[in-house]
Amino acid sequence: MSETTELLQGTLELLVLKALSLEPMHGWGIGHRIGQMSDDVFFVAQGSLYPALQRMLRKGSIRAEWRVTENNRRARYYLITPAGRRQLDAEIASWQRVSAAVNEILAFRLAEHAR
Amino acid sequence: MSLWSDLTERLKALFGGGQRERELDEELRFHLEREVEERIRQGADPAAARRASLIAFGGVERFKEEVRDARGVRPLEDLAADVRYALRGLRASPVFATAAILVLGLGLGAATAVFTVADRTILARLPYPEADRLVRVYHTKAGAVLWQHLSAVDALGIREQQRVFDAFGLVRWGEAAISGIGPPEQVVVGRATAGFFDALSVAPAVGRMVRLADETPDAPGVAVVSDRFARERLGGSLQAVGRSVTVDGIGYVVVGVLPPGVDELAAIRTGVWLQLKLPTPTRRGPFFLQGIGRLRPGATLHDAARDLAGISDRLFPIWASSFRDQTATLGPMPLRETIVGRARRPVELFAAAVGLVLLVAIANVATLMLVRASSREQELSVRAALGAGRSRLAMLLITDSLVVTTLAGIVGLAIGWLLLQAVAAIAFNLPRIQQVALDGRSIGFTVLIAAVSGLLASTPAVIAGLAGRGTTSLRLDTRRVGAGQRSNAVRGALVTAEFALALPLLVGAGLLLQSFVRLQKVDPGFDPAGAVSVTLSLPSVRYPDYPDVQRFWRQLEQRASEIPGVVAAGLALNLPPDEPLDENNFDLIDQPVAPGGTEHIAPWSTVTPGYFRAMGIPLIEGRTFTEADSAEAPPVVVVSRSWARRYYLSGTAIGKQMVSGGCTTCPPTTVVGVVGDVKYLGLAREADGVYDPLLQSRNQTLSLVVRTTSSPAATFQQLRAVVAGLDPELPVVESTLASRLERSLEDPFRWTTVLGGFATAAVILAAIGVFGLMSYAVRQRRREIGVRLALGAAPGSVVAMVIRRGVGYALAGSAVGIGLTLLGGRWIAAFLFEVEPADPTTVVAVAALLLATAGIACWLPGRAAARIHPIEAISTE
Repeated sequence: MSETTELLQGTLELLVLKALSLEPMHGWGIGHRIGQMSDDVFFVAQGSLYPALQRMLRKGSIRAEWRVTENNRRARYYLITPAGRRQLDAEIASWQRVSAAVNEILAFRLAEHAR
Repeated sequence: MSLWSDLTERLKALFGGGQRERELDEELRFHLEREVEERIRQGADPAAARRASLIAFGGVERFKEEVRDARGVRPLEDLAADVRYALRGLRASPVFATAAILVLGLGLGAATAVFTVADRTILARLPYPEADRLVRVYHTKAGAVLWQHLSAVDALGIREQQRVFDAFGLVRWGEAAISGIGPPEQVVVGRATAGFFDALSVAPAVGRMVRLADETPDAPGVAVVSDRFARERLGGSLQAVGRSVTVDGIGYVVVGVLPPGVDELAAIRTGVWLQLKLPTPTRRGPFFLQGIGRLRPGATLHDAARDLAGISDRLFPIWASSFRDQTATLGPMPLRETIVGRARRPVELFAAAVGLVLLVAIANVATLMLVRASSREQELSVRAALGAGRSRLAMLLITDSLVVTTLAGIVGLAIGWLLLQAVAAIAFNLPRIQQVALDGRSIGFTVLIAAVSGLLASTPAVIAGLAGRGTTSLRLDTRRVGAGQRSNAVRGALVTAEFALALPLLVGAGLLLQSFVRLQKVDPGFDPAGAVSVTLSLPSVRYPDYPDVQRFWRQLEQRASEIPGVVAAGLALNLPPDEPLDENNFDLIDQPVAPGGTEHIAPWSTVTPGYFRAMGIPLIEGRTFTEADSAEAPPVVVVSRSWARRYYLSGTAIGKQMVSGGCTTCPPTTVVGVVGDVKYLGLAREADGVYDPLLQSRNQTLSLVVRTTSSPAATFQQLRAVVAGLDPELPVVESTLASRLERSLEDPFRWTTVLGGFATAAVILAAIGVFGLMSYAVRQRRREIGVRLALGAAPGSVVAMVIRRGVGYALAGSAVGIGLTLLGGRWIAAFLFEVEPADPTTVVAVAALLLATAGIACWLPGRAAARIHPIEAISTE
């Protein structure tokens, strides 16, 4: 069994937004950055990034433009939009609420039973 | 989610097309190259790096598809692809495309034209506020109209006693001479009371309408003119008010101008409306006024009927001595019904005819679609095997048909527009027909029926295309026997239906044609060749005394008869055919009407003796009029043969006496002669008629008829000179009796032509249908026919076999069609003259014609079948 974990459904967008909130990036860069940020815990099939990006374009949380990379090659860069930033804040808050709650549950011990 | 970004992204996806795909390719290529570089940088060798990158990416094509799905325009992209595919298919089979589009386009075009006409005539709302409150008042019995017009007695009675109308007015119209502005001219003039305009709620654009105060006997005559009349004749609507127009020699001051575009009111089309002053009645008749009222808010037709019946009960007994009738009461009818009702039957007949043609066209296109679908059998199987679902296949077939239908709809709109131009040019005798043009509603209608037609036409193909198709079966059997047979059965049913629908149309056209031929053969009762007429009105202002009028008529007749070439000349109040004749009531002294009964009514005209000679009306018995039949002499009449037969079947009518016009104090009127029947009321109508002599009558308007051996043009010129010699200010209306006769046959001719056109179209479509079916069947059974021929079947028997099968469909269709004809007979009965709707000769002849057509249509594929080369047929399949 490898050390990587399947990404939770719906969290890919959160990670993409987080990555893009730091700087505009192209698709490969986003995948790479997510791996880096998670210390390569998450396994993302690289291709699945692109349908997600297309969905986010339609939602309006990101936009895309063709730019030239540092190596002078043309690449499609994605940028977070103000709406995307609001979505990111909201999702971070909601994630923290959920994970805190999950942690609570996992930390729960049956005190009554012990008595 | 932002709606805006969603929409723009979808639109970019939809219209970005190829560029989007190229960008996606480039983006993914960049990703893979970058990944390979990264792996090489980490020490992998290039080949392994590339392999590892592709694995890490996880299937390029799969994610491309996912991206395409994520764009959210997948169904539209599929549709666009299907449409492009359908268009390519149509280009590849131009014969199918042209046939289907033209056939359906013709059907849709005809339907559009008829809908537009119906929409503007029988479906239209009247252009008056709250027009459903408008009614017209008739003399009715048990809800049916007995006669149309009201008398001054009726009009004044309703006006004084009614309690259901907000406004009630009277109107009449007729031709009159307009002078004082340019050359004298005979035009239609309306005369109405103030209540008429109030009831219709017509407000003037300039000035005022006529008022009740204008009706007092010594008030000056006032007129309201249309905006068009003001512009064309009076120098503009602002300049018109205050000017004076002279109508039949009487001056009227223009006090108001109607709003632009109001060229008719209550179906009376005129530019000049004069104040109508009701005469003080001395007897119950004559009946010459149209009564129009606006119901009070909340009042129903029933309330109006009750109120009017009450008025009749109080009013009629007072005047009973001058009009013995106890059956009629005043009664209301919705005004809309009275205006558009006349158009209902012809328009409904056309709508039914067009509906049948359209159905035949749809059936025809459906068979074409079936052939096309069965030629795509293999393609559909491949698509199904590659995973296309049933709904995807159905969508493909429906799209195919919708593309054809859309093109047909465009063709249909163009054809509809052309047909409407033709309708306007022919100016069918329908109310409001001038206002018919293609508009948003008709285009909407075309789109709607095009869509319905498209779905109907594709249904058999979709059913046959999907029938028995397992989702994974990939049949490459080139003979495809099973599906072919199923589709053939459907096509056979469709062709049968085409014949079933074509037969009633052809029967209808045949019946109208027979009626028309019979109508043409009707003896009009006069000899139109060489007879010409001019109509004149003597203004009572310049001819106030009757001796002057009599002198004028006498001089006119005298001078006309002296024109070289003129054989005979005479004057008459009415000319045949189709001129509404004055009607008069009478009571025969030897056969008096029973108490409580109704007096007889007959068409009544006034003539000079020369009229009978000029018209070529034969004297059958007795005498015509002489100089002795003067105003002082005992009153005499000449009657028509029909009249004499109706009342004196055995024995002679000569010498019989009557009380005429309810005048019991007048001396009795004696019948002195019987002349031939003349069809005054129309060729299809009765020919009763009574003539009284001009010397015993008073008429300001008469027609002069002359029989001449020279040309009409030369005669008219000389007649104009004669009239100008007597009075240069009189307008003259010219007509030849031959043209009057032709005009009376115009409408029946048009109905016959139009229905004949529809029927021909339906028969041609049905013939094409059976031709196509049998051609296809012969191609499919090529091998079997080849075997038969190889085994010694005579070519003739093969031809006969094909024809027998094709005619079989036509026979089955005709049987069903005869049933439909019997059901729909009442539609056409009103248009027929001396022919029964279920005339057996016509039905049999039409069925025979259809079968013969089917036989000829099948002969070509039959001959093709007989020429099949046995060896080739067997070896190639």
